[in-house]
Amino acid sequence: MTVDTTSILRIRKPQRRLGGRVLRSPAAMLSLVWLVGLVLASLTSPLWLRYGPLEQDLSAVLQGPSWAHLLGTDELGRDLLSRIVTAAAPTLLIAVITPIVAVLVTVPITLWAARYARAEGFVNRLSEIVLSLPGTVIILAFIAAVGTNMPLVMIAFGLLLFGALYRVFFGQAKSLHQQLYVEAAAVDGVKPMTASMCHVLPNMSTTVIVQFVLLFGAAIGLQAGLAFIGLGPQPPEPTWGGMVQTASKFIFQQPWMMIPTGGVLALTIIAANSLADVLAGGSAMPPSLVSLKRRKTPADAAATAPESGTPSASTGRAQAAASAGDVPADADGALVVQDLVIGVDDGPELVSGVSLRVGRGRVLGLVGESGCGKSVTSYAMLGLLAPGLSVRSGRILWNGTDLVRADEKTLQRVRGHEIAFISQEPTRALDPMFTVGWQLAASVKRLRGVGGREARRIALQLLTDVGIVDPPRVLTSYPHQISGGMAQRVAIALALSGRPKLLIADEPTTALDVTVQAEILGLLRGLIAERDMSIILVTHDLGVVADLCDDVSVMYAGQIVESGAVRDVLVRPEHPYTMALLAADPHAILDFEGTTRLASIPGQVPLPGSWTSGCRFAQRCRFASDECTAAIPLQPRVQGDGGVRCIRRDDVRGRQEEWRRPVAVGGER
Amino acid sequence: MLFFVLKRIAWAILTLLIASWIAFVLVHLSGSTPGGVALGQSATREQVIAYNESVGWYAPWLQQYFAWVGQVLQGNLGVSLIDGRPIGPDIAKRLPVTAALAVLGTLVSAVIGITMGVVAAVRGGAIDRGITAFSGILLSLPAFWVGVLLVYVFAVQLRLLPATGFVPFAVDPQAWARSLVLPVLTIAITSAAGLARQTRASMGEALTQEHMRTLRAVGTPTWRIVYIHALRGASLPILASVAIQFIILFGGSVIIEVLFALPGIGQAMQSAVGSADLPFVQALVLVATLVVVVVNLALEFLNRVLDPKLRAS
Repeated sequence: MTVDTTSILRIRKPQRRLGGRVLRSPAAMLSLVWLVGLVLASLTSPLWLRYGPLEQDLSAVLQGPSWAHLLGTDELGRDLLSRIVTAAAPTLLIAVITPIVAVLVTVPITLWAARYARAEGFVNRLSEIVLSLPGTVIILAFIAAVGTNMPLVMIAFGLLLFGALYRVFFGQAKSLHQQLYVEAAAVDGVKPMTASMCHVLPNMSTTVIVQFVLLFGAAIGLQAGLAFIGLGPQPPEPTWGGMVQTASKFIFQQPWMMIPTGGVLALTIIAANSLADVLAGGSAMPPSLVSLKRRKTPADAAATAPESGTPSASTGRAQAAASAGDVPADADGALVVQDLVIGVDDGPELVSGVSLRVGRGRVLGLVGESGCGKSVTSYAMLGLLAPGLSVRSGRILWNGTDLVRADEKTLQRVRGHEIAFISQEPTRALDPMFTVGWQLAASVKRLRGVGGREARRIALQLLTDVGIVDPPRVLTSYPHQISGGMAQRVAIALALSGRPKLLIADEPTTALDVTVQAEILGLLRGLIAERDMSIILVTHDLGVVADLCDDVSVMYAGQIVESGAVRDVLVRPEHPYTMALLAADPHAILDFEGTTRLASIPGQVPLPGSWTSGCRFAQRCRFASDECTAAIPLQPRVQGDGGVRCIRRDDVRGRQEEWRRPVAVGGER
Repeated sequence: MLFFVLKRIAWAILTLLIASWIAFVLVHLSGSTPGGVALGQSATREQVIAYNESVGWYAPWLQQYFAWVGQVLQGNLGVSLIDGRPIGPDIAKRLPVTAALAVLGTLVSAVIGITMGVVAAVRGGAIDRGITAFSGILLSLPAFWVGVLLVYVFAVQLRLLPATGFVPFAVDPQAWARSLVLPVLTIAITSAAGLARQTRASMGEALTQEHMRTLRAVGTPTWRIVYIHALRGASLPILASVAIQFIILFGGSVIIEVLFALPGIGQAMQSAVGSADLPFVQALVLVATLVVVVVNLALEFLNRVLDPKLRAS
């Protein structure tokens, strides 16, 4: 599941409150101090300025900075510092009008439109029309009507921003309205507008505040621009834009005048914008799914990653070091994972010392609940860990090559050619912008080194092979035009385009309807029989494992807890977790003590970072006892090959039926 | 498809009508009257009233509005109150100036902005933070200030380019190009940042899509993932921002045109507003809205071509 990695990245970066964000960001604090300080300095300026803003001194015109005039003088010998500071408060205070008007108009309309479907259509059209009005020109026409009355112009600007602001607010308001608790409030008889005010508006507050600050900056810019073209407050009243305009006229005589006048204006807008950036929670990039940079080698990662406290990690590392260099004799066509440790950079461990073996032509099931590290382990086998995750130690041996330490070039040769991958969400696994045929042919061309015509022929053949009824039509279709089951067939065809020897299927049927699941499983079964491929099947469905797999490894909280041949593990499970999974398998509801019971396992998989050094399943295990806090190695199974990680395995063997009884958490302590 | 076209065109016409109505109302709410503006301060009250009556200023608003719209539909935008010349030909002469500025400005800022955004999204880390901070500053710089600074550097100090003024393309293409370098550069510096941010966000979003993993798993090289798949995936929002940029430049290059003394429609708007040339203001609002509406229509159709989901339906 992709959920586990993303949720961990989120754990690392907790959401901060708005105030905290500002307080913790030097840029935001600086911006706030600048804006507030400017207004205060401006309001108190008659008390401390040495010159009045209109005081002329024709003996000192167009001067640079000096002790007498800290920022120089203009063409009439007026002190620039005085004029800049005096103009600050009116500019900033009048500029606030725009965001106030814009928010006061847009927020209620947005809430109304998000609440009532009929209003939504009307308001959408209205916003479209407002958005299509040429803003600047309308503002100028407005000035033609009302004159250079800045407060009125700011109101008009605020109204014109409705279209853009509505676009920003509406999506969020709509999705908030569809939240269950808001709908529940409506069912409970809470009045619609009350629900909007109590449940929707508070959750939008960050967006509203961020937009408010951004519009504030825009309003300052507009005022200055209007003053610059002579349509602002009329001289001799000082304005920032007007001063820049004067400076531009005297640029040959005294270029200095440009610096303080435009500089203050620029700094003020920068302050507003950077404040908005911080309030918005910074502009961190979402972590991309694929690494675009040179891959970190484990050596690099080990140097940066903090030492993890779990014993399995250190033993894993020690074992990897001890066995480094010797390659198993039967390496040909086999994938061998040894003591693989994967972690979030600067974060918790996700996979702790996993070892797996898939022999040539064998099918291995990798089983466990969501969040156990199955998917992450399978991504690592192709070097496809998302940026921010890395292998800390261990090896993944493929035909004698350690894929963990392999460079990007080697991995590129392996991906698709030798090992292929099928993801759990077929409809999102294909690029929506290109046709199925284009994507398939591009992959065939590259992986088989054939020309365009041949590639299209092979693509058609592949689609036929995966049981698609009308391959020519599907070739010209876009991914959104085909069903989920068909998309998964296409994804499988894509995986087969390089004739791989090993196929890693990450929950290939989870997102599909039950009937389609059976078809896809049938297809996989056929492929196994025909193509002499090895398969790693990641799943939480034991029925699928029983159906398709030769071997099975059960994962729990980043560890293998039991492994072995399917017929051994599923028939005579030795680990309580395997027993619990079997008891919770809806395909295998058995009659127990006269009633039909489907067991459930109490509690949840512990989150990475909260794993203990003892048995990680102990807190949910009905057989847990005090011994279970000790570290437990993987020990050989009693029946058949494989291993089991349970200190009480001799006591619990054969007791799987007990999982069907309502459980008292805490076990036999 | 036909239904879609008709619906879009209907909306465009409605938008134009609303804009024309706004312009009409604003002009009639202003304290100025055509007579007062055309005859100047020396005219007597009686002369002004007589002039106003001759142009139908005292007729009911609706009647005046439809009379104006009727004239416009016949291609007559009226005459200027200041110099008595017909407005239509004047605007037609100014449109190429503004169009050149908007097209070149959009192109240059798109190239710079999209490159910056792609680099930020793909390289990440310190480069991303650097580009983001830099674009945050560029985004905040007032265009007229940047323009004046550029004039100081390139015209006053280095004497490489003319500070202001415009030479028509037909007269001297080289001088035309030289007269547009600084205005276009000003636009690029202040507009590229917004596009850089949009590109970065859209590219970042595209790179988190599940299919990126599939592409990697079949051995797709990084350059193909970035420049074919991610950029294609991000192309629609990027294109929308470029269109918005163009619209803003077309309708809003008043400041640039005034600063560099370019005789485009922005400059005309500034002087018409300054001198209360009422019919000119009305006509300019209409023309600017027409441009926005046409660009929006073009964008809609382009979207339908570029977005497979829209194309199919």
